[in-house]
Amino acid sequence: MILRRDHIAGVAFVAAGALIYVFSGDLPWGSLAMPGAGMMPKLVLGLMITFGLALLARGSASPPLSDIDWSDRSHALCLIIAAALATALYTTLGFVLTMSLLLLGLTAVVERRPLIPSLAFSVGTALVAFLLFSWLLKSPLPRGPFGFL
Amino acid sequence: MEATLDSLLLGFLVAFRPDVLLYAFLGCLVGTLVGMLPGIGPLAGISILLPVTYGLDATKAIVMLAGIYYGSQYGGSTTSILMRIPGEAASVMTCIDGYAMAQKGRAGAALCIAAVGSFIAGTLGVVLLTVVAPPLASFALRFGPPEYTALLVLGLIFLAYMSSTSLVRTLLMASFGLLLGMIGIDVLTGHFRYSFDIPELGDGIGIVPVAVGLFGLGEILSTPSNTVTEKVVSPRLRELWPTGTEWRDSAMPIARGSLLGFLIGIVPGSAHIISSFLSYALEKRLSKTPEEFGNGAVAGVAGPESANNAASTGAFVPMLALGLPTGPVTAVLMAALLIHGVPPGPSLVSEHPDVFWGFIASMYVGNLMLLALNLPLVGLFVSVLRIPYAYLYPLIIMFCILGVYEVNHSVVDVWIMLIMGVVGYGLRKFGFDPAPLVLGLVIAPIFEMSLRQSLIMSNGSWWIFFNVNERPIAAALLALCALLLVLATRSLIRSRKDWRNKLAEAEEGS
Repeated sequence: MILRRDHIAGVAFVAAGALIYVFSGDLPWGSLAMPGAGMMPKLVLGLMITFGLALLARGSASPPLSDIDWSDRSHALCLIIAAALATALYTTLGFVLTMSLLLLGLTAVVERRPLIPSLAFSVGTALVAFLLFSWLLKSPLPRGPFGFL
Repeated sequence: MEATLDSLLLGFLVAFRPDVLLYAFLGCLVGTLVGMLPGIGPLAGISILLPVTYGLDATKAIVMLAGIYYGSQYGGSTTSILMRIPGEAASVMTCIDGYAMAQKGRAGAALCIAAVGSFIAGTLGVVLLTVVAPPLASFALRFGPPEYTALLVLGLIFLAYMSSTSLVRTLLMASFGLLLGMIGIDVLTGHFRYSFDIPELGDGIGIVPVAVGLFGLGEILSTPSNTVTEKVVSPRLRELWPTGTEWRDSAMPIARGSLLGFLIGIVPGSAHIISSFLSYALEKRLSKTPEEFGNGAVAGVAGPESANNAASTGAFVPMLALGLPTGPVTAVLMAALLIHGVPPGPSLVSEHPDVFWGFIASMYVGNLMLLALNLPLVGLFVSVLRIPYAYLYPLIIMFCILGVYEVNHSVVDVWIMLIMGVVGYGLRKFGFDPAPLVLGLVIAPIFEMSLRQSLIMSNGSWWIFFNVNERPIAAALLALCALLLVLATRSLIRSRKDWRNKLAEAEEGS
């Protein structure tokens, strides 16, 4: 049997639905005349599991799993790691420092652009964005260990 | 009618205020850029810029954000015609004949026809919006919880029926969105649902982190820089004027596209995408020379471009009159109004006439601004496309993080955005359209509240939704749901290719 795209997607949604249903155990269903906090989530979970099963049942009409193009996965992984690091450091290092590092990492390391232009672009852009939001639009951004930025 | 004209006059007094004009202009300018740039659509653009509007009053905020939305429909045509890249999903169909015209040296004419068509359609759409929205809003004042429940069910089923993916996949995404919308404190009983002791989740998951993650970050994750071309030809100003034949060939497609687009815009779904596809199919069928389609047919640019602009205006009808979003963009715009303390819906016209009419009047002005921006300044906009994508996407990621954080000053929101980015990337790989997910997330609180209130009203009887004597509107809406489900099931059983399959193929092909 060839494993197909909708087989995997269907199983994933059914499994996720079942797992969340287990987590919903403490939510009261209530009654139809006085619905509880758990009624709607459980109804929706039921629908999600049903549609997941329908997807699974019609899975043979979908393209084989091997047809999915994953050639962009390394690009996606690099971006996610960089963005996750930036998020983790955002409130500690502040906006300017974190974003300068993020932009530099993406342009110089991931995209292999020349270091000096990348550095100028990264620091310049982060500073302009900081000034625009923090001073002009009066929308406070996290400031780093240096206080003023 | 006289009252409508008086109210519209009030709207123009608001729209012509210098500060409102400035924000309309900014919205149109940013919208044009957002529509042109690959990797960032109107939804991500609006979501990222939402925090910028916090310091503004509701009128200026909605005028600017809506300007981004309809401005992006104009901007999307530029990259489609010059580079064969749809900067915005609704411009997919323009790529085919717009790029073919550019290859024949008629890029300027194609851009001009797209801009003029967009202007006519946008303006006609606003005229229809002016006429349709107020009476619809007064009619909707009769709606109670059962009618709203039925309307939301109809919206979801319509969305699934119109979807280019499949009924099951769309409903699955909508269910997923509804489930996400149930995270947080239950407003009726005070129970915490799926918040896993994270205080920030008590208020639920915001639409901005989800929308930016799915449509902003998710799009960038699946677009490596080596797949984006930076070669672009800039047309000269004197090349912009179409010939007499080109004008004649585009007149009727613009008229048909405008009307078709507006009607499709009112119904839920990715209306601006669907409308451009249907307009293209209609023009090809009506053409005396269908063989020209794909080889630079003027009607292939004029029709779809007019349709997607009219659809983006039509989408405002249910949002303003009923308080219901027809797609993720109107959902974010609704969230923007709510943030500013202005609940969209039937009472908007009577309680906030300055916002309602000011917004509508600003769209007349905005369409004129866009025409002025998109024709003479096309060369300037094209130069933006020369920014290497390797520098552009890190910038978009920075604005994604910045925009999401600024909504609540919460890092948890940024983490949610990152997770949704990965989810969006995965969903795309498995052929799911994330738009119904966002729609489900937005309507979840309204849906749950109206369903529970209906059941409480009827003492637990489902009959309240089907009682023709007491609730004729709800019963009629649910009958329409049943009809749509029958039609959808029939096409499933027959497994025959219809326009939805062709739309899916066109989207994949782009």
